[in-house]
Amino acid sequence: MFRFSSALDTLLALQDAVEAARTSDYFGLSTTNRGSYPSINLFQDGDDVILMAEVPGMKKEDIQVQIKDNLITISGERKVDYPEESSIHRLERRSLKFNRTMKLPSKVNIDQVKADYQNGILKVVLPRAESDRPKMIDIH
Amino acid sequence: MNKEQKEITVQEKKEVQTQSEPTVPGKVYLPTTDIVETDKELLVYMDMPGVSKDKLKIQLEKNVIAIEGEIDATPYSDLKPLYTEYNIGHFSRRFELSNEIDQAAINAGINDGVLLLTLPKIPEKQPRSIAVK
Repeated sequence: MFRFSSALDTLLALQDAVEAARTSDYFGLSTTNRGSYPSINLFQDGDDVILMAEVPGMKKEDIQVQIKDNLITISGERKVDYPEESSIHRLERRSLKFNRTMKLPSKVNIDQVKADYQNGILKVVLPRAESDRPKMIDIH
Repeated sequence: MNKEQKEITVQEKKEVQTQSEPTVPGKVYLPTTDIVETDKELLVYMDMPGVSKDKLKIQLEKNVIAIEGEIDATPYSDLKPLYTEYNIGHFSRRFELSNEIDQAAINAGINDGVLLLTLPKIPEKQPRSIAVK
């Protein structure tokens, strides 16, 4: 059917495009994006950076953490399954595969990195690399 | 943005809207929940990251089951946030049960931040296949 395009359609399309651009992080300042799974919080604890992510319902073996220089990659697969022959009333949780890379504020001493997974929260303690610490220079 | 990327985006945590005020400080979120039914029971799965077994409170009053999970905020108190994408808070959600549930036999367990509630059906209410003579 032939349809005249209305000014309103154009306007709505524009709004959609703006929304899409906003969520895509294309115009963001960093190469890593915000809003993909899992959500990450970074904290500073003295010289260490602590990364936390909520990834409930996973097994330790299913989470991989990789670090190179100041880039950290978290990947894994979350499987949500139910007994066979069950009927579904409500589904809000999702099975998913994720792989997320994030830039850290400083280089990391890889040998000292500690990661643990407890109560569905992944916590990675990232000590600052010796080469990245500011050095005090003695004045003679 | 392509479709695949869209699917992997996280659901934003939803804050609980209630008339009554919480007694613990901090934000309260709705845990994402799955409910599935088998012949014998109703299974409720809830994502409650950060909630340990001893901080979980499940109360049953009349036909309403209330699940409350408290998180321990002390590890965060000394940390300076650098970059944050999610808020932390307690979890709370309530569900109304039907009469089909055997309330005395409800079972709960939490593992890796996922609560599993098992609500068995009363035997008489379980589906039976009827033999045709």
